Amino acid sequence: MLMKVTLRTDVLTNNNKAADYNRELFTTTKTLVINLMSSPGAGKTTLLEETVSVLSRKYRIAVIEGDLATEKDADRIRKAGAKAVQINTHGGCHLDARMIAAVLPEFDLEEVDVLFIENVGNLVCPSGYDLGQMHKVAVLSVPEGNDKIPKYPVMFMRTELVLLNKIDLLPYLDFNVEKAKRDLEGINLSSKLIPVSAKSKEGLLDWFNWIEEAYKTCQQ
Amino acid sequence: MHEMALMGEVIDIIKEDAASKRIIKIDMVELLVGEISNAMPDALKMAFEVYKEQNAYFFEKNARIFIQIEKALAECILCSKSYVPDNNRISFCPVCGLPSGKIISGESFQILSYEGSGDADESNVAHRCADQ
Repeated sequence: MLMKVTLRTDVLTNNNKAADYNRELFTTTKTLVINLMSSPGAGKTTLLEETVSVLSRKYRIAVIEGDLATEKDADRIRKAGAKAVQINTHGGCHLDARMIAAVLPEFDLEEVDVLFIENVGNLVCPSGYDLGQMHKVAVLSVPEGNDKIPKYPVMFMRTELVLLNKIDLLPYLDFNVEKAKRDLEGINLSSKLIPVSAKSKEGLLDWFNWIEEAYKTCQQ
Repeated sequence: MHEMALMGEVIDIIKEDAASKRIIKIDMVELLVGEISNAMPDALKMAFEVYKEQNAYFFEKNARIFIQIEKALAECILCSKSYVPDNNRISFCPVCGLPSGKIISGESFQILSYEGSGDADESNVAHRCADQ
């Protein structure tokens, strides 16, 4: 006999349970956790290197690196001066909350003020997965062009800050910063946009101030 | 292409629920996929066929998947009118002309229901065989 079962269950329910578990840990240890997402090559790791080398004078920083393969990014972060754990997804296009939960025992979270999670480079898949982070930040880079915000609305709908990276290239490319701001406003009114260059260091102070504010809020 | 991973979640949830109800073979799965959930119905259907083949013991050969689409809808926080959001300008209320809209529908991704048969059927079959 056939039996019909009505579930109405969220498909990501198991991921969300793990995300809640992570969030509870982060809240208990008052660790500020930021999930950094972008397309491949937008400059997430370079931004993190700069962030680590400046802010580690003030905060105890740790990084979880997500990539399909290799330990390259974690090595770069370690050289910049922070503890880094690499997750290899072996073909998986995003990090999920269970992968994060599995590596958390490698950190003493009581001793970590700020934890960055660098997601797998991809503007689609990581947007749907809650990792238990306090903030979702997208990195968009000038060479990617103005069309990325309207083309990938779901990502920019769910992030609260866009770091517009590689602005040192603005004189050579047709990127329009004001248009990017308007496009972002059209998709997500509450999202901020901070123009930065990890290379020329322009704008990095604004990003560090943003982290500082987020850290203060997280300590309350 | 995270639809394989998403379909993996669907199969895990159904397996767990089915075990608790002593359902051993699945005949139908019904999903609700929002237009702005970032999951593609066609890719989900393809992933379903792959999992069905890999888990032949758990699925009827002709097991089907039905996908209901949840339309995207936004509501303006200023004038309270709801509107169909333009992909590029999701938060722009067409009445007020301001970025004052919030998404109220279209982000869902749910397993609505599934259909299967359980242990009891085997004993029925056995009875029928004995009767003949």
